[in-house]
Amino acid sequence: MGSSGGALSVATVATRPGWNPTKLRLALIGIVMLLAWGVVAWRLVQVQVVLAPEVADKGLQQRLVVEKLAPQRGKIFDRNGDLLAMTVEAESLFAVPAQVEDPLWVAQQFGTLLSVDPDVLYERLTSEKDFVYIKRQVDASVADDLLALNVKGVYSLPEPAREYPAGPIASHVVGFVDIDGVGQEGLEIVYEDGLRGVPGQARLERDANNIPIPQGDNDIVPAIPGTDLNTTIDLPLQYKAQQFCEEAIQKPVLAESCWVVVLEVETGEVLALTGAPAFDPETKTSDDGSPFSNFAVRGVYEPGSTQKLITVAGALEEGTVSIDTQFLGIADVLEIKEGACESDDDEIQGCYRDFDEHETVDMTVEEIFVQSSNVGTITVADTLGQDKLVEYIKACGLGEPTGIDYGAEASGILNFAAGCETCWASGAIGYSVAVSPVQMAAAYAAIANDGEWITPHIVSSVTDGSGKTEVAGIETRQVVSPETAALMRYLLAGVVDVGTGTSAAVDGYRVGGKTGTANKLGDDGRYTEATRASFVGMAPIDDPKVVVAVLIDSPAHKYRTGGASAAPVFSKVMEQALHRLGVTPDGNE
Amino acid sequence: MSARPERVTSPQQRLRVLRGKRATRPALAPWMIMAIVGIAAFLGLVFARTSLDNSAFELVELDTAIEQQVELNQKLRLEIARMENPARIAPLAEEMGLVIPDETHQLLVDLSPSSDAVVLADDGGNQ
Repeated sequence: MGSSGGALSVATVATRPGWNPTKLRLALIGIVMLLAWGVVAWRLVQVQVVLAPEVADKGLQQRLVVEKLAPQRGKIFDRNGDLLAMTVEAESLFAVPAQVEDPLWVAQQFGTLLSVDPDVLYERLTSEKDFVYIKRQVDASVADDLLALNVKGVYSLPEPAREYPAGPIASHVVGFVDIDGVGQEGLEIVYEDGLRGVPGQARLERDANNIPIPQGDNDIVPAIPGTDLNTTIDLPLQYKAQQFCEEAIQKPVLAESCWVVVLEVETGEVLALTGAPAFDPETKTSDDGSPFSNFAVRGVYEPGSTQKLITVAGALEEGTVSIDTQFLGIADVLEIKEGACESDDDEIQGCYRDFDEHETVDMTVEEIFVQSSNVGTITVADTLGQDKLVEYIKACGLGEPTGIDYGAEASGILNFAAGCETCWASGAIGYSVAVSPVQMAAAYAAIANDGEWITPHIVSSVTDGSGKTEVAGIETRQVVSPETAALMRYLLAGVVDVGTGTSAAVDGYRVGGKTGTANKLGDDGRYTEATRASFVGMAPIDDPKVVVAVLIDSPAHKYRTGGASAAPVFSKVMEQALHRLGVTPDGNE
Repeated sequence: MSARPERVTSPQQRLRVLRGKRATRPALAPWMIMAIVGIAAFLGLVFARTSLDNSAFELVELDTAIEQQVELNQKLRLEIARMENPARIAPLAEEMGLVIPDETHQLLVDLSPSSDAVVLADDGGNQ
């Protein structure tokens, strides 16, 4: 066999036993396969074992989405549980300008539908920015309708919006938030910390379609909703008060503004606090285009004759006079500083006149108060002395913030500088002092409440996850004795029955109050013909439940006095307040 | 008939050849049972896991539905508040002829126990 062929012989010679080509190839393939599988296995081990924690972590990071959970801003309610403010989900429409194919069409269509100036919108859509808002916080249904148009480059994202269902009625109390939902005015800013809530955070494992993976590595720290505010405001009364104020700034009174404060006597709760012109919290503009203001808390004015309540109460409390004390020879002009009355516009510097000219007469304290005699009141104050007068003014809460839960409250001004010879006289009749309507309302509420002054407040309680919590920090203090307070109520009733405030009367109730008329200071520091007319009063006078303060700024000349312009508004507001509280009529026809 | 050969007993012949135990195949039943149990357990785990995932998906859907209902509830509350706004109702009431009366009459009801008013209230509640 070995000698049968030469080629075979060569092959036989060349090939060693056990190394035939097929086996060699198979061996080589096997080795390669083994190496390949080895590499795969090595990589597998490396990935699955050695690098496993690192790779798993990288994968997890790709799937994890961390979202900030915005807390729901707290709601604001009136005393009846009616909503004054709440936050709802809305949509903000935005565009990527580079993707918008026909910006002019989009600007015209969307601008018209969303009440956005098309020119402004076109400018945004043709800008170089990557992201522009078309309109923020649009109603979700409107946004859905617009998105259904499938306009290229227009998108939406969810964004909460603050809504004020009562509109302008409660705006002077509630205030408003900015576009980002941060309180800017009123209760919205005073209680911002509580209303805002605490943001939460959600770490969710999501798939490529952004759908949460069940049993994934999810970690959610829920947001804590903001606290709800339960206010003392009575919305129907607030509405009527604002309506009466609106009427007062129209013909024929034609005042610049009107402000009303309604307090519940026994609690110091603010039942209504409003004014005109009205302020719309949605558009953030007043009816007359002016910015937001709240003169009732932040404004100060010289109160005029309403101040006489404190002067006479102080004198009665100190026993320097009684209501029957008679002062002889009360003229209609009083000159404290020699020569002061020779100048027509120098009243503040020592010359005091009664509003109406009259002959020199003898007057009791009661007559002085009911007829609102400036000269007579200064005479009463003279028995009290400046130090005691200032003491009672301060005790009644003038010259410092009342502590009402409303931002930037005015302190008021007490001008009793040392060396001022006439300030005490001016202060006795409501000049040389400047007060806010809420300060004056609180002072009258003290007389109504048997001499006990209570901090006026707007929020009665807050509600959070743990329940309802009463608001603390309500201060009370005795200003005058109950006997003096009762005497003052008797005098206040006389003002409405037969004095300067007869138009403040309310059918079915006995009312007491005091008119106030103070000339406004001009830019040159001199008094002008323009006045601030006010009326502050209470009812039913034998057991007062409500105090109402009305301030009318710059009424027409015919209505320049408190009795002519403020007292009628007081009457209407007081009637509504008494009806709202269900106060039984005390028989006044 | 041939004579039977005589038995010669040798030392070896006293040794008996014993038949060994028959080689038997290993019993399959336990392994089968174990395998079935294992497979069943595996399938059970898969089923449980799938059910859990399905439940989780349903939970997500329910959460979404709840969120939508809460949003709807809030919008309805807002709508109610807007409808109850006195500034909306008062003009409508006036349009319908409801006005504040020019004259008011006060009814003072005597609630003392001896009064007729109480008797009437007891009789029929109409005072």
